[in-house]
Amino acid sequence: MIKSKHDYKYVGKQTVRKDAYGIVQGKTQFFDDFVMPNILIGKVKQCPYPHANILSIDTSKALTLEGVHAVITYKDCDPNWKFGWPPQKSVLGTRMRFVGDAVALVAAETEELAKEAIDLIEVNYEVLEPVFDVLEAQKEGAPQLYDEFPNNIVPGGYEVMQPSGRWWHLKKGDVENGFAECAIIEEDTIGFDKKPGTLSPEPPGLIIQWEGGTDYHVWGTTQGIMVLQLVNATVIPGVHIEATAFNVGGSYGNKTTLTNITIYGMLLAKATNRPIKMNETKVEQMVMHETRLGSTVQAKIGMDKEGVVRSVKALWSVDAGHFCNAIQGQVSVGLGEAQLIMCKCPNWDLDTRIITTNKLTAGTVRGYGGQELNSCLSLLMARAMRKGNFDPVDSFRKNYCQAGDKYFWRDGREWTARSVDYNDAILATAEKFRWKDRWKGWGIPSWVSEDGKKVRGVGCSVIGNSDAGESFAEAYVRIIPDMFKDEARVMVHINVTEIGNGQKSNLLKMVAEILNVPLEAVQTIPPDSRTSPRNEGLAGSRGTLTCGRAVSNAALDLRRQLFEAAEYKLRYPQEQMEMFNFGVRAKSKPELWVPVTKLVPDHHLTMTGYGRHDEDFGTPNFFMSFIEAEVDLETGMTKVIDMLGGTDVGQIIDPGSLEMQCQGGIGAASLDTALFEENFVDPVIGRPLTYDMIQYKWRPFNELPNFDTCILESQFDTNYFRAIGVGEISGAAAASACMMAISNAIGTEIKDYPATPDVILKALGKI
Amino acid sequence: MKTTLVNFFVNGKEYTLSVGNLFGQLLPNEVLVDTLRNRFGLTGTKIACKDGACGCCTVLIDGEAVPSCEVLTVDCEGKHIVTIEGLAAPDGTLDPVQQAFVDYYAFQCGFCTPGIIMATKALLNKNPRPTREQIQDALSGNFCRCISHYHVLEAVESLVKKGEQPA
Repeated sequence: MIKSKHDYKYVGKQTVRKDAYGIVQGKTQFFDDFVMPNILIGKVKQCPYPHANILSIDTSKALTLEGVHAVITYKDCDPNWKFGWPPQKSVLGTRMRFVGDAVALVAAETEELAKEAIDLIEVNYEVLEPVFDVLEAQKEGAPQLYDEFPNNIVPGGYEVMQPSGRWWHLKKGDVENGFAECAIIEEDTIGFDKKPGTLSPEPPGLIIQWEGGTDYHVWGTTQGIMVLQLVNATVIPGVHIEATAFNVGGSYGNKTTLTNITIYGMLLAKATNRPIKMNETKVEQMVMHETRLGSTVQAKIGMDKEGVVRSVKALWSVDAGHFCNAIQGQVSVGLGEAQLIMCKCPNWDLDTRIITTNKLTAGTVRGYGGQELNSCLSLLMARAMRKGNFDPVDSFRKNYCQAGDKYFWRDGREWTARSVDYNDAILATAEKFRWKDRWKGWGIPSWVSEDGKKVRGVGCSVIGNSDAGESFAEAYVRIIPDMFKDEARVMVHINVTEIGNGQKSNLLKMVAEILNVPLEAVQTIPPDSRTSPRNEGLAGSRGTLTCGRAVSNAALDLRRQLFEAAEYKLRYPQEQMEMFNFGVRAKSKPELWVPVTKLVPDHHLTMTGYGRHDEDFGTPNFFMSFIEAEVDLETGMTKVIDMLGGTDVGQIIDPGSLEMQCQGGIGAASLDTALFEENFVDPVIGRPLTYDMIQYKWRPFNELPNFDTCILESQFDTNYFRAIGVGEISGAAAASACMMAISNAIGTEIKDYPATPDVILKALGKI
Repeated sequence: MKTTLVNFFVNGKEYTLSVGNLFGQLLPNEVLVDTLRNRFGLTGTKIACKDGACGCCTVLIDGEAVPSCEVLTVDCEGKHIVTIEGLAAPDGTLDPVQQAFVDYYAFQCGFCTPGIIMATKALLNKNPRPTREQIQDALSGNFCRCISHYHVLEAVESLVKKGEQPA
C-alpha cells in the first residue's frame, strides 16, 4: 500500500491520467495512426548472411516495376556517411555484418510493391567467417568486422558523454593491496549475454520528409526527440533534423534513436522528394532493431569480514553487435551503477571493452548498462556473501551508497552523494517481505513440498542510478487568460513523450499544484522539437527529478511574475500573496484578489515562466527486489511465486503510476532474463531463431507472480517536491535476485542466464 | 463483369465492399485489421505482430474476441464486428469496461489496451462472473510489456464485484 505523506492537492494523490479517456476509447494517436498525403513506403533488403561482402548487385529489374520510386545501394551513398560512435559503419556499404544488414533500400507506392522490388534485386555475396562471442572476437586471428578496430575492440568513451575527456576505465585505490586485506575473494567469468529483446508492442516506425537543403523532419515513435536528433544528426554531416513524436506504444528505452530507419528514410526521402514511411513489422523489429547489451564480465571481488566489498578487479566485455551506437554512454553508466551497489569499496580496477560481433546491434534499453553489468557482478557479490555466510540484506545495505559516499559517473567526474539514504527503505522492504522468516540461510530452501519434488527459495538484490539527475531540461509554463471570463488555461511547454509511465500527466500535476489551478486547466503541447524547449525527454530515471524540476521552476517563475504584477494592483507585499481561483490574493485578506486576466499585458496576452534543471549526478535513486521462486526438481522449471519491490522516492507524485512503474520491472527484458528470455541465434548460420512473438518467450496474463511494493517518502532535497522517483531501475535487480532465489531453492549456485530447465538440471547433476 | 460484394456491420453500421484487384476494391487477401484502419479510419484497433500472437488487434466478431489480423475481410460476410470505437454510447458515456480501466488505471502505454478491453468485453459477455483464473486465461492472448496486468485484473474484478452486466 502506497501512502503519501504530504497533503498536496494533486501531488501524491491518484488522479486520472490526462490521456486516459483517449486510450480506453482508441482515440489516442500513436505513430501509425498519423497520416500524411503522398507518402511512399520505405523498406530494407536484408542480408541473409551474418558476415559477407557484396560482390555485385543489380537493381535494374526492381527499378522497372511500376510504382517503385527509388532503389538505393552503396553505389548511391556517400561512403563518408557512417553510423556509430565513433563513425564506423557505412550507411550503405559492401560489407554486411549481420543477418538483416541493409543491402539496399526501396521506396514504393505500397508495401507489397516494395517487397516485390526487394525480391527482384540480385546480389552476389562473398560469405565470410562470422564471430558471435565477445571473448572469441578479441582473440588474434578472429574475424575482423572493421579494419580500424583491431581485435574488434571499439575505442572506449566518447566526448559527447564525457566533456572532460573520454572515460571508460574505473581506476581508484590499489586493488592488490585491497585484496590482501580481504577475508573473502571470489573470481569468475559471468555472462549476461543473451541479448534479449525489449519487445515494445508498437514496432519502431517513422515518416521522414526532406525539407530542402540539409533539413529533414521526422514524425516517429521516438521516446526522446532530442536523443534522436543528437545521435542521427552526426551520421550525415551538416544535416539538420526536426522531430515530432506521438504517444509511444512501449519503448523501454529502446525506441529512442531509431538510427537505422531514420537515416535510411532520409536517403529515400531525398531521392524521391516524397515523405517516406519506414514502419517496421514485428519480425523486422525483432531481427533488425536494437537489443539489450551483451555482457561478459571476468571479475574478482574481495569482501571484508563484515561483508563489505573492499576491492574489485574486472574486465567487462560488452557485445555491441555489429556496430557501436552510443554504447559508450551505457558502459559509463554501468561503471557508475556498479559503484553505487559497492559504494564503500575504495579499490577499483574495472576496465571495459566494447566489442563488435556479427549479431544484431545492441542499443539503448531500460537498465542502460547498469542492469547488464550488475546482473553479473551481483552474482559474484552474492557468492562472496555466501562464503562469508552474510545475510544478503545486511550486506547489500552495508555496501549501498549513502550521502557522503563518492563515485565516478557517466561524465567521468567524481560525484559525492547527498541527501539520499536508503537504509530505511532496505529495512522496511525486507520486513514487508518477511525476509527474516523466509530466509533460511544460503543454499537452504524456504519451503519443500511434501513429496520433495518442489522447492522454493528466496533472494534479493539492489540497484541504483544517478541518472535521476541526468542532463539538462528546460520548460516554459504559459498562462493563457480566458477572453471572456476571469479564468485561464495553463500550457506547459516541455519536450516529453508519453511512453506509458504517466509522467507527462504527473508534470502537469506539479504545475497545477504550484499555480493552485484545477488540473483540468493545465495542458501540455505535443512533443515537437520546433515548439518545445530542449530536454532529453523522459528517458531512463530522469523524469521526476529533472523534468519535474524544470516545470516546477517554470511554474514558480510564472507565479513570481504574477505576484510582481499583483503587487501594483493589490498594493500588498509579494511574499504574502498566494494563487487562488485563477488569480492572486492576499493571504491574510482574501477579499484582495485580482484575476490573471488583469495581470497579463493588455488583458489578452499571456505570461510565461521559464524553468531549468542543470545536470546533477549527486542524488542516486534506488530499488530493491525480493523474490521467492519455486523450482520443480524433476523438470527444472522455475516459477516466480512472490515478488516485492522497494524504494524511497522522496515524495510520491502519483501512487498509481509509481506502482505500475514498479510492476513494469517484470517486463521489458528484466525479471525474465533470469528465467527464459533470450535471443537465439543459430550458431552456424547466424540467423535469429526467435524472430517473432511465437518463437520469443514472454510472460502472459496467467503467469504473473504475486507482486507488492514498499515505498518510502523521505522528502529528499532534490527538487521543489523533494521527489526523486524510481524510473528505469525497477526491474534491474530482479534478474540477479531471481538467480539467488533459485540457487537457494535447489541448494546449488547457478550463474547462467537465463536459468532455463537445462541449466537447473545440469546444476543438479541430472543431465 | 460480375462484381463480388461482401457485406458486414461495423459498430452497427452496414458496409458493402466490392472485392477485386482494382484500385479501391477490397483485395481478396486483405485482413480485417487493415480494412478497419485504412478504409474506415478505425485506428483504435492496433497492429503489432500480425501473427495473431499479441492480441493488440482484438475485435469482437459476432461477440467473440478475435485477432483481426488473422481474419480475411472477405470472410466477414454478414458478420457483426465491434471495435473499441463502438463501445461507448453515442452520448460519449463509456462502456463499463472502459470506465473501469480509467478508474483502476489499467493501462500504461495504452497500445495494447483496446485489445485487452475487447477481450474483456467478450469474456464478460459470456461469463459475467469469471474467477480471477478465468480472467487471466481469457486475457492470456493479450501481450502487455509495460505490465499493466495487475491493474487490469483489478479493473475487471471490480466489474465482476459490481455485477455489471454486458450491454
